[in-house]
Amino acid sequence: MSIFCLGVNHKTAPVEIRERLAFAEKSVPQHLSEICGMDEISEAVVLSTCNRVEIYGGSETPAAALDKLVEYLIGHFAVEPGEVEFYRHEADAAAQHLFEVASGLDSMVLGETEIFGQVKKAYAMAQTTGTTSRRMNKLFQQSFTVGKLVRTSTRIQQGSTSIGSAAVDLAEKIFGQLDGCRVMIIGAGEMSRTTAQSLLSRGAKSIIVSNRSYDKAEELALELKGRAVRFDDWENCLDDVDIIISSTSAPHAVVKHEMIHRVMSGRRGHSLFLIDIAVPRDIEDEVNEIDNVYLYNIDQLQQIASEGKARREKQIAVCRGVIDEFLREKGIEALAGLPDGRGGSGPDPILTETAARPLTNP
Amino acid sequence: MDDLYLILATLAFLGGFILAAVSLRSERPRKQGVNIPIAAVGLVFQSLFLQLRGEMHGRCPITNGAEVLVFVSWSIVIMYLALGKAFRLSLLGVFTMPMVFFFQLFAIVYLLAADPGPRPPAALDPWLELHAAMSLLAYGAFGLAGVAGVMYFFQDRQLKSHHPGRLFYSMPPIRYLVAALVRLLVIGAVLLSVGIVAAFFMKVVPDRGHLLISGAVWIVYLVLIVVHFIKRLPPKPLSFWAIAAFAFALLTLSAL
Repeated sequence: MSIFCLGVNHKTAPVEIRERLAFAEKSVPQHLSEICGMDEISEAVVLSTCNRVEIYGGSETPAAALDKLVEYLIGHFAVEPGEVEFYRHEADAAAQHLFEVASGLDSMVLGETEIFGQVKKAYAMAQTTGTTSRRMNKLFQQSFTVGKLVRTSTRIQQGSTSIGSAAVDLAEKIFGQLDGCRVMIIGAGEMSRTTAQSLLSRGAKSIIVSNRSYDKAEELALELKGRAVRFDDWENCLDDVDIIISSTSAPHAVVKHEMIHRVMSGRRGHSLFLIDIAVPRDIEDEVNEIDNVYLYNIDQLQQIASEGKARREKQIAVCRGVIDEFLREKGIEALAGLPDGRGGSGPDPILTETAARPLTNP
Repeated sequence: MDDLYLILATLAFLGGFILAAVSLRSERPRKQGVNIPIAAVGLVFQSLFLQLRGEMHGRCPITNGAEVLVFVSWSIVIMYLALGKAFRLSLLGVFTMPMVFFFQLFAIVYLLAADPGPRPPAALDPWLELHAAMSLLAYGAFGLAGVAGVMYFFQDRQLKSHHPGRLFYSMPPIRYLVAALVRLLVIGAVLLSVGIVAAFFMKVVPDRGHLLISGAVWIVYLVLIVVHFIKRLPPKPLSFWAIAAFAFALLTLSAL
């Protein structure tokens, strides 16, 4: 009995293929039952996210099981034979792949944590459907352990990887927790919206939106649960904000040195963080020379994001070392030693124990 | 034996600093709180040194510059262990260790070069002990406030440069640094005030120079705190004055 994995991800298949192969959440239990109904497959877990569609399973004849699965996918989803190149992993390669997926090493944004929750959810669904047994239970429990271990014992999560996350990380290094931080958006563009949403997701409050077209300001303010101010009035709000995101299409500087200098004299030592994502730039460069004011433009944020990505890429080898060490110590060999839960006589202690316990924090 | 304890304490702080520096450069993240047991070991050896010196003199061991430096270092370590975690200042230990190491290195060199030996024992006076202990604990808080000031300048520079290095991500937010700095100044000022009040009840009236110097340090910190609370000093001048005031306090200690 061995484990296997079949799938496609953002590296091997374009979104046009992935969207056709994606399992609708509601239909996953039915598909799981059908997959486990095949003679060659005794256990299965389906992991379907926007970046990957993967099926993990246990089989006495993994090569035959993988062929059958390909046939099944072609038969049930709108893909033609030869149109998709599935990757196939067996035994320790399958375990290693799952561990890398759970650790975020196979994600589009290296080290991201969302995938960890998605793996947990996929496993919980298979467990509820009754398509997991000893091997899948042990494999997925181990993947959760490895996912946590990799994140805590390496620097894979350190550093920003996008302009939005760079802005948020910098804001947190200035203000600490962003609860109560007040944000002003000057120019209601898409980048402003994304950056403001990143800040809001970390607790920033009271968004003020100003735009030359007041209707657009109102629209964005409504979306971000903030308030709109007329473009002639934004200067009057400067005293009340901690973070300013500027992205107007003005051909000249909108936020001037004298303006910020004047504002800072009344701020009683409170810092001000300015994010200029406009091209041409909206905020005069000299503003950064004012004490307690931190100005970042789009190139500087992009540079931080690039450095963060490079730093995370350098961490891949360290993370793989952690996974290899785990696999050597208690990985695939322990799985291989397990008897088949479905075929065995008598109850499966691991399955029974896991099924009886709610899957809260594996 | 007292020299040995001092050397061991100094080595512990040096080891803590090297370990932190190495782990900050490592590809693996540093283990949280690793400085705490190391600082605790250093504190034990410092305490043993001070105990032996106290027994030798028959009074509080602040009879020469070396002992005063060790006592101040001891206070800084106590303050770090007591308040560092509560103030959520990661890397405070990393910045504190080298300062404590250099203070003690000076103390070792001083003692090895010219240890003045035991002083004639003084009559036991609890007010004198309270005065000395509170004043030196206050110096510990002021020292740690200076460290927070240095950390502020470091983090401010990283933010202004637009090229944050690896240390940047491990450092506390500047708002927390400033808040901790203010609290440490207040704690130090309260302790020093208690120490100064205790001096008025001492059996032996301190000499005029001692009184002037202690009063000057007290006034410097009091002015800094009052000005901050009235005018809300911006972080940069506040940090600068916290560092400068501690440097001044150290200089006055050498005069004592």
